[in-house]
Amino acid sequence: MSKRLRLLRRVSQALFSAGFLVLFAVAAYPLLSPVPVDLFLRADPLLALSTMISLRQLVFPALWYALTVVVLTILLGRVFCGWICPMGTAIDACERLFGIRGRRPSAAPRLSSLKFYILLAILITAALPSAHRKAAEPSISGSVGLSAVYLLDPVALLTRTLTLTGLPAAHWAIGMGGDVLNGWNGSDAVQDHPWIAVLLSPLQMAYGLVGRPEGAYFRLSAITFLVFAGIIALSRYARRFWCRNLCPLGALLGWLGRLSPIRLRVSEECTRCMRCVNECKVGAISDDPHHYSGPECIECYSCIAVCPENAISLARGHRGEEREDDLRLGRRRVLAAMGAGVAAVALPKVGLGVRRTDAGGQVLKLSSMRLIRPPGALAEDEFVTACVRCGECMKVCMTNTLQPAVGEGGLEALGTPIIVPRVGPCTQPCDLCGRVCPTRAIQPFSIEEKDYLYVGTASLDRSTCIAWAQDKECLICDEACSYDAISQDVVDGVSRPVVHEPICTGCGICEWVCPVEPRGAIRVNSSGDKRHLTRNEQRAIRELADEGTLEQGSPYPGL
Amino acid sequence: MTDEITRRDFLRRAVVGGAAAIGIGELVAVRADMADAASSPTIAVASKRRPAELVRASVEALGGIGKFVKKGNRVVIKPNIGWARKAEQAATTNPEIVAEIVRLCKQAGARDIRVVDHAVDRPDALVLRMSGIEAAARKAGAQVSLASSPALYEKVSLPKGRALKSVSVIRDLRRADVFINVPIAKVHNTTGLTLGIKNMLGAVWDRGAFHRSSSLDQAIVDCAAEVRPHLVILDAIRILLTNGPKGPGRTADKGIVVAGTDQVAVDAYAATLFDRKAEQIGHLQRAHAAGLGEIDLRRVNVRHV
Repeated sequence: MSKRLRLLRRVSQALFSAGFLVLFAVAAYPLLSPVPVDLFLRADPLLALSTMISLRQLVFPALWYALTVVVLTILLGRVFCGWICPMGTAIDACERLFGIRGRRPSAAPRLSSLKFYILLAILITAALPSAHRKAAEPSISGSVGLSAVYLLDPVALLTRTLTLTGLPAAHWAIGMGGDVLNGWNGSDAVQDHPWIAVLLSPLQMAYGLVGRPEGAYFRLSAITFLVFAGIIALSRYARRFWCRNLCPLGALLGWLGRLSPIRLRVSEECTRCMRCVNECKVGAISDDPHHYSGPECIECYSCIAVCPENAISLARGHRGEEREDDLRLGRRRVLAAMGAGVAAVALPKVGLGVRRTDAGGQVLKLSSMRLIRPPGALAEDEFVTACVRCGECMKVCMTNTLQPAVGEGGLEALGTPIIVPRVGPCTQPCDLCGRVCPTRAIQPFSIEEKDYLYVGTASLDRSTCIAWAQDKECLICDEACSYDAISQDVVDGVSRPVVHEPICTGCGICEWVCPVEPRGAIRVNSSGDKRHLTRNEQRAIRELADEGTLEQGSPYPGL
Repeated sequence: MTDEITRRDFLRRAVVGGAAAIGIGELVAVRADMADAASSPTIAVASKRRPAELVRASVEALGGIGKFVKKGNRVVIKPNIGWARKAEQAATTNPEIVAEIVRLCKQAGARDIRVVDHAVDRPDALVLRMSGIEAAARKAGAQVSLASSPALYEKVSLPKGRALKSVSVIRDLRRADVFINVPIAKVHNTTGLTLGIKNMLGAVWDRGAFHRSSSLDQAIVDCAAEVRPHLVILDAIRILLTNGPKGPGRTADKGIVVAGTDQVAVDAYAATLFDRKAEQIGHLQRAHAAGLGEIDLRRVNVRHV
């Protein structure tokens, strides 16, 4: 009995991690999963809470999923951390794989309060008004806060790590294998000796099953990997260093778990052999095995499994002298955490990233010529605060065009998705990113709506366009345009491409196909971004454009 | 070993040499045959049938698939799978036609049938699925793939090229015993029309090089001179009349399939479907001038079936 709970917990960890990986894998075209692929992100109460505070509105359907974890925690304590969290399991697995044991409990750093301060700072950052919502008057309800939760939320962090580093690595490995195989099959030796091809055919079949991925590449992949590797490396100081000291989700669940009516009971059989103290993953048991910290315990039940006297058991009842629910926060440090939350809002504000210009009702960041958001994205300030940088949209994107922003939107937009046309176009018959966003920062949209979800405008540089500057027969941009937004001007007998701005949605396929290397002579910029308008207003603009009412270069109606 | 020629050696050399001589003789004869055919090429125009039957009828009129595909041959079919458009939008080859060609090749005993192209639109998975060609051709028994890695291409030098000196072509296509070009007839913003010869642009890796060259039309012809199909089956069941090559645009239902071995003749006939003269289409004019085929339909033996 005593070991059965631990076994059950390990099985649970394995199943949930497998589920997490499967959902990650199937977050891809044609996206047929009956279970939402962003299930773990939706179920993360910290992401939901922080986003709802910073966005000043309820976020559905994430709220319902998150509430189930909240209820689970109130009933059973931090079981999410011990039994479900894929990050926790990843840390457990890495500790085992690399033989990381941590220091002795007495020598381990005692920083367990730190995570509560981090949680507090994140929530303060989310609550403070950071930007005004559209043209609304300054007020709390007319403002949005800033997202800091993305930095340290474990589910977002792990999904992001998988997307930005795991996916390219997997694609690279498969692609290399395929190239080698193709090279062998195409070599003269194999052509001359077909029996070698027969020997290679099982490999060829296996490769055919996997299929050749269109290799993904991402910016920020190295730094994302280093953050994850750092979290694993910290376990050298104490096992699950991340969970016990840093994780803001663990802090939130620990705080909620204080309501749990289940506790550990230590009977008089205890001989103070200290095995449970040494075995506890999160250092929740004090030097005296009769006492443990409720908010720290992740309900892994290793202590029950290792106790040679079977002295530890689960007991009902909220109060017991074994469990201590005090968070042990210092007043001075709480103030410091609040200060850090304020600083997190202030810091991006002193950079040029948020210097704005107001063009015909739309607010553009000066740094943001290339800040081209996916279709369906909320208006910029709301988008930046709602996006948790999980990377699901970049994972599901078929053309790899969605990349984490580095400098395009300033510090506050670090890691948010942008279209980088030279990597790939936002292909017209695709609505995937709108279907996987856990916080609906990218609102669902239909393929038909993409005709008027303006995210930018292409502009043609006639000094480098080979049709304009060199009289070459090239209209590839016109060929490829999915929206018929490029037409031809015949000048001196040569056809030359011209962008019809009111129709152009900024999908970037023209920039992608342009044969002028390396940058392309036609480039998308954010000037046509109309996310500050409602969809109906954007559709109205498109209808005017179709009627021919909107002429080239004429200002758009100030809708 | 000595340098003396043994009896066995002598006999072996005699046999090999004799066989080679006969082989060369055969080859010369075949060449002569082809030259003869080129002087008065035949194309077959099938109409008033369902798509699959159009293919069968037109190929039959050329002497049957057995004339082109022998038992054990490796066949590569090159349709137009360039765009993420549905078949009915007439930007990509009709999937039923591709599937029927696959079935014909299978019946002729082809060992390995591949359908390849190099899409412009991204991503491949979407292009393959939307065009409907992947599902149809795979069901008929072919391997279908889009070549999106330079590793899948082979450099072909164009010694006679005037605008291009070399081009990277899909390797499968170069290594095939039989290569069947299956274009769809469309208008094209740059080249006027895109028919069979222009369809070869989808078999190369760096299309940009064609546009950057001194003349796009000439580059197309340079490439077509070296990358020549054994059979052209042109889909004109529904043709794209405006906003080509990708559309969306106006379409017209012609219900026709044109087949032949003279690519210029096939294209010249297809041009008439758009009320255009082949002589007005730059790359066809140049292809004819380069000796790639007959542009004057009066000199083409058009067999309507």
